[in-house]
Amino acid sequence: MGRVVVTGFGAVAPNGLDAESFWKATVEGRSGVAPIESFDVGGFPVRVAGEVRGFDARAYVSNPKSLKVMGKNIRFGVAAAHMAMENAGLKDAPPDPTRFGVTMGSGIVPTDIEEIGDAVVASLDEAGKFDIRRFGEEGQKRLFPLWLLKHLPNMVAAHISILHNAQGPNNTITTACSASTQAIGEAFRILARGDADVMLAGGSDSRIDPLSLVAYTLLGAVSVAPRPPEKVSRPFDRDRDGFVLGEGAAVVVLETEEHARRRGAGILAEVVGYGSSFDAYGITKPEPEGRGAAQAMERTLRDARMAPAEIDYISAHGTSTLLNDKMETLAVKTVFGEAARKVPLSSIKSMIGHLIGAAGAVEFLVSVLAIRDGVIPPTINLEHPDPDCDLDYVPNAARRLRVRAALSNSFGFGGQNAALIVREYAP
Amino acid sequence: MTGRRVVVTGLGLVTPLGVGVARNWEAMLAGESGVGPITRFDASTMGVRIAAEVRPLPDVPEDATVPHLGIHSRFALVAGREAWADAGLDGSRLERDRVGVFLGSGKGISELEWLVEAVRASRARGDATDFAAFLRAGLETFLPQRRSEEDYAMSGAHLAAGLGARGPNWVCITACAAGNHALGEAYEAILRGEADAALAGGTHSQIDLMSLSGYTSLGALSARNEAPAKASRPFDRRRDGFILGEGAGIVVLEEREHARRRGARVRAEMVGYGNTADCYRVTDPRPDGLGAENAMRRALADAGLAPGDIGYINAHGTSTQQNDRMESDAIKRIFGGRGEAPPVSSTKSMIGHLIAAAGAVEAIACIRALETQTLPPTINYENPDPDCDLDYVPREARAASFEHAMNNSFGFGGQNIVTVFRRSAG
Repeated sequence: MGRVVVTGFGAVAPNGLDAESFWKATVEGRSGVAPIESFDVGGFPVRVAGEVRGFDARAYVSNPKSLKVMGKNIRFGVAAAHMAMENAGLKDAPPDPTRFGVTMGSGIVPTDIEEIGDAVVASLDEAGKFDIRRFGEEGQKRLFPLWLLKHLPNMVAAHISILHNAQGPNNTITTACSASTQAIGEAFRILARGDADVMLAGGSDSRIDPLSLVAYTLLGAVSVAPRPPEKVSRPFDRDRDGFVLGEGAAVVVLETEEHARRRGAGILAEVVGYGSSFDAYGITKPEPEGRGAAQAMERTLRDARMAPAEIDYISAHGTSTLLNDKMETLAVKTVFGEAARKVPLSSIKSMIGHLIGAAGAVEFLVSVLAIRDGVIPPTINLEHPDPDCDLDYVPNAARRLRVRAALSNSFGFGGQNAALIVREYAP
Repeated sequence: MTGRRVVVTGLGLVTPLGVGVARNWEAMLAGESGVGPITRFDASTMGVRIAAEVRPLPDVPEDATVPHLGIHSRFALVAGREAWADAGLDGSRLERDRVGVFLGSGKGISELEWLVEAVRASRARGDATDFAAFLRAGLETFLPQRRSEEDYAMSGAHLAAGLGARGPNWVCITACAAGNHALGEAYEAILRGEADAALAGGTHSQIDLMSLSGYTSLGALSARNEAPAKASRPFDRRRDGFILGEGAGIVVLEEREHARRRGARVRAEMVGYGNTADCYRVTDPRPDGLGAENAMRRALADAGLAPGDIGYINAHGTSTQQNDRMESDAIKRIFGGRGEAPPVSSTKSMIGHLIAAAGAVEAIACIRALETQTLPPTINYENPDPDCDLDYVPREARAASFEHAMNNSFGFGGQNIVTVFRRSAG
């Protein structure tokens, strides 16, 4: 089995439009959560989100025709991949196309209610009811003929492969909140087994739209707390009451060690472990004791052939829901035992909200950068300790610490869990 | 993990031809068509009014506990339980921590009907969208569980919960290649030792108003509304698009020694997997078929086989002009022309295109073909196309003597997945 290293990265996040800006903001504890601006929320109970502001996809996609079939989620992913290629020095020296692949985490793409408005209006009968026959006769003519292309989750990876001529393995993983952790894990496996030399791996997502906002609110998953926006996401804090929707993308360049060394690439870290599990419990709630989450971490440690005490930092799933944060704390204690009190863990969801299908990729990137810079970003808004969450969450201020190995956790809504371990690279 | 091999020990199917592998195989060998007028909703004013529907929708025990269970989860549960029982695992004490779930899974865009009230409210004051009005109306009219059950990942969650599978759980959507993709990644996970067994395959339905409209406007579907059973005609000169199908195909993949130790019946061995991307356009396959060709070559290399070892190819064969020509060319470059290349057939001629489930259903057709030494036909192949001049097993099933079958799946967006299966020695 060949070794797999990280040689580049790109990101678009609510608190930074490129990876370094995002990282600087995150280390400084600057929140990207703010009042929702992309549509008028009126008096809706949820008014804040981690929106990406000031982003212009034209910097990354030159063909305006391509842009027309790219929704927000696709644009974020394409931009992050572009920046990752540049960062890895591959933009002008592309790899062998047949040995170069793409794996992305993605998810259900919400209907654009503005886009279907005309079609719905044209399908109403005299009584104002939706008439399916009128949709066939009139309504559907008002739709953009290629709209379906924006709704297929696999299109992010398809566009990225086309833009960078990556003809090797290509996949889109949609395992809810674990999707992009699994996408990076799969790229790691593909490289380790020799099926490619270079992979672009990550995730992109956006659920900040009227449809998703209503659905997540009714599910009771997002916070409705009347707090200042930057204070709403508060993982592990006693007063946490739900997550904040975020959006964005992160893509890393993974490469076989051999390929990276041959081309003289700067090696940031080594991926050494990946594991996934299922709760087999209630579908919409995490297993309260964290059994599935613990299993994912244990499998990942075993895969990496590492002991818990060798982990210097955990990039937590930490959603800011009552259940997740308590469960994750228990699971860390189960796996780490005595060492649980010594290992710092933090949740950057406190600053950018929950990026769903992109969350794991952004948090993996944080693990890589923590190793590179010897600094751990904080969990902001951790003001009131919760007796059920009694570990070291790096509250409110970043911490300088040599990170030799980091564990990145993702736990999905349906009970699907995954984790990754990344380590300092030593030749 | 040297020495590990992957075998197939259970099969499960739900397709427009019916529920269950036995029923499906009988219908496929008889050359039946599952295509007919759309009954799920009123499609009378749509350009395309035909599809291959699963009728009636099968019930599952989850109906008692899960409101709004998604159709993709429903199909996965039915096919998954059949495969599980077929593998002799019902009531078994198998270590469930070592059982994974790998699914290609998709869901159509069925939200329109429950969105419509809120969208209407958003347009009450003319052409501009009043988002706040949408949100207010949404709070009153949405059923949030319905939305969450539509998530792609839910089929994998329900299947794993239903069978207690606590191993790796993974859901992908590489469009029309996803089901075959799931088999490939499950195979790799078992080879590597991450699981000893996996439920792997695909489940999908896009027979809904919005998806039908979307594919129609992309020009992808056949509109042969007057002759539904004749509409899906892969490789025929008069083919004019695919037919939307739905259903699920799920197999139990198992590490060979694990299967042997528990005395399981081995139905086939999975020996090869290849995965490539076209890098052409998001709407069309690469005309030179290079991506498809490379995926077939990778799968052969992975299996350690020469082209001459393959005795049957279950084609992607969608019945679109572009796919069938491109696929035939790619096959010819590897296997040679008519007389040299093995017989190729497309079961999509009978069941339509099951999108994310297609590749897995077709893998089961390959496995049944190996077991019974019989090739399922390409029905409706009547008018030879000079661009498609291979042996497509036209219209009638045929006996054959062969050891290896290849399963092709090429996704919309350019993802190509090929798997290879070997006949079980018994």
